[in-house]
Amino acid sequence: MVLPERYEIVGEPLDGGMGTVFHCKDKVLERSVALKIIHDTTEPRRMRDELAALLKMRSKHVVQVYDILEVARNELAIVQEFIDGRDLFDDRTAPHSTEEFYKQLWQIAVGLSDIHALGVIHRDIKPNNMKMDAEGIIKIFDFGLARDEGHSASTLGFVGTRGFAAPELYDNEVSFTAAVDTYAFGVTALYLATRSLPDSLKNNHLKPYGAIHIDDKYSPGFVQRSSKTYIKCDGKNYFSDVPFNMHHEVKDILESCINCPPTCRPKISAVRDILAKHLLFNRHRALVVYKGQPSYLDANNRSVSLTLNSMGHVEIQYDGLDFRAANVLGDVYVNNMQFNSGDILPGSCVVALGTPAQGNLRKYITFDLAHPEIVL
Amino acid sequence: MSELLSKGELIGARYEIRRKIGEGGMQFVYEAHDILTKRLVALKTPKNKSATKRFKRSAIVAARVNHPNVAKTLDYIKVGGQRFLIEELIKGDDLAEALLQETRFIDPYLAAKVFHHLAKGVAAAHHAGVIHRDLKPSNVMVAGGYSLKELKITDFGIAKLASDELEEAAVGGSATLSMSQTAVGALPYMAPEAIDTPKEVTVAADIWSLGAMMYHLICGEAPYGTGLRAVRSILAAERPSIPMFLTANPQFAPLAREVINIALSCLMRDPVDRPTADELVTMCSQLCYTSSHRRRGVIRRIFDHGKFGFIGTESGDVFFHMECVYGTMNLNEGDAVLFSSYDGGGAPRALPVIKLNMAQS
Repeated sequence: MVLPERYEIVGEPLDGGMGTVFHCKDKVLERSVALKIIHDTTEPRRMRDELAALLKMRSKHVVQVYDILEVARNELAIVQEFIDGRDLFDDRTAPHSTEEFYKQLWQIAVGLSDIHALGVIHRDIKPNNMKMDAEGIIKIFDFGLARDEGHSASTLGFVGTRGFAAPELYDNEVSFTAAVDTYAFGVTALYLATRSLPDSLKNNHLKPYGAIHIDDKYSPGFVQRSSKTYIKCDGKNYFSDVPFNMHHEVKDILESCINCPPTCRPKISAVRDILAKHLLFNRHRALVVYKGQPSYLDANNRSVSLTLNSMGHVEIQYDGLDFRAANVLGDVYVNNMQFNSGDILPGSCVVALGTPAQGNLRKYITFDLAHPEIVL
Repeated sequence: MSELLSKGELIGARYEIRRKIGEGGMQFVYEAHDILTKRLVALKTPKNKSATKRFKRSAIVAARVNHPNVAKTLDYIKVGGQRFLIEELIKGDDLAEALLQETRFIDPYLAAKVFHHLAKGVAAAHHAGVIHRDLKPSNVMVAGGYSLKELKITDFGIAKLASDELEEAAVGGSATLSMSQTAVGALPYMAPEAIDTPKEVTVAADIWSLGAMMYHLICGEAPYGTGLRAVRSILAAERPSIPMFLTANPQFAPLAREVINIALSCLMRDPVDRPTADELVTMCSQLCYTSSHRRRGVIRRIFDHGKFGFIGTESGDVFFHMECVYGTMNLNEGDAVLFSSYDGGGAPRALPVIKLNMAQS
């Protein structure tokens, strides 16, 4: 291996998921970079194609690839941003509140959605492969690039992390999908919240044959079984004992990530959107304007009652996520649509009391819904 | 001094020039194809000797900042006597081209969003100990135009050059200054101390520039004017006045007031009176705004003595009420507008609606 003179190795090499990682100094730009050597490039062209996809990726939550170098025959080096921070396996990054927990998960889900949007599967999602930088931004790294889909997986054997690897990854015949990342995301979420994994997740995988790389950190109790049985979707609620005050909607979707059949797991983008919604709990605000007078509905002032004589009555209530109609009486229209109890206000709207036929007797109140933007 | 690069030219055996995409006082910017990594990148090269002087320093400084709101430095190479900086390519325009070309100012929702992202990028730079020194609309890249998909600060530290030139101008008189595009472009956003004592600027100078830029975006003009006349006004740093239209409409007044007040807090004469970048981020993260997609249309009909009307678009009519129009109440049939739309019976409903091409009128 010959590194260009530009890169100077500082510190000891680390073994990553599929190669050796060197912390280097880029002497030209005077910055730290992580240089990852990929030793076994059995299919260099496929590797380059996959790297090309990574190079095009611009995600806030995926480590940035600066460059690719050919350091030897069949040996590539990826020059990546060096993240000066701790990985999420480190207890010092553990979330202390439900909001912090949601924020971590949301960032990972954003990164993973961006990866999947490019048609790339990460294949080794786990807390050790995510780092939090000095700005508090979580970035996913260490793609499982060297592993191929389909039959060649059998020649490489299982390379993954027990507990985080989806059950289908232990099956030689199955070509896996992005759902393996969703599964690993679900287990990661459980780990981030509880700082450990239940034995049932650690132990009930099956590896019929082939080499096993045991990652002891997570698999002390691994038992090889003789029959091909996968964990069942037995309704076990892994997230029921999580020490955070999670909304059932979030719990449900995280739970479903760990479903056994890959097709029973949600798309990671759906998980991302649910998390974003709950990150904004109680942070929405509706600007209400009536006769030129503005007022607000928000977590401190949750409802307003609108009445026009006998023509129409409605209460608008904020439940922390949505602004909903309650106790509708008479004629109430929102953006020219009949409005009923339980209906949700669209982003920006006019509430009209009275029917269109009542013309000038009607009253109009405008609602403009907004919330802070999640910018990390 | 530096020769223009031509299409197809190969730089450093890997960067193939596609086209010139920008030209500042200091540098040329090209879109190039990196044949090694197969991706499009921005390739920058200094224009002249004085620019070359600080070019590498600028690259190194920028490379230290790692944040989604700061353009990523990918590579720096020297070929013969010429230097090239390779940066991530942002498919878009600079802030002025993207947001001040078709409108003279932007609505408070969009302003809040721009402010939030700018503050985040500047905070990350300040955390890394980097002062930008030259924050101005042409040093901020925007993807997605009025729908703002991405915002990234670029050209760190090139900056220093501008103050050098001003210093030279202070010695050589205004004739020197009028020659310098860079200084003139930066001037409206420069902090008093950056003009007065350029060697002593701190991170607070960036905060001023941020405030001045936001003032421009919100109010439609730089807080202290442009050209050399601005110098005296900036040094005096009197609180700039706020145009009436900002608070004339109760639908927009509350947010407009919040955003402009944050901008004004940055324009304090004494650097220590300005908020820090972190404080700005905190303030911006409490602003409530929608980031909905912006569409274009043309006012098709106006009814009821100008109270409401319909915007014609490719995908059908959108209803609007005059109270949802920002900036001017004076909309006429045939006017081009920019808006976001929400579900409604019969037709979707628009908010906010902003008249386009006000810059030209």
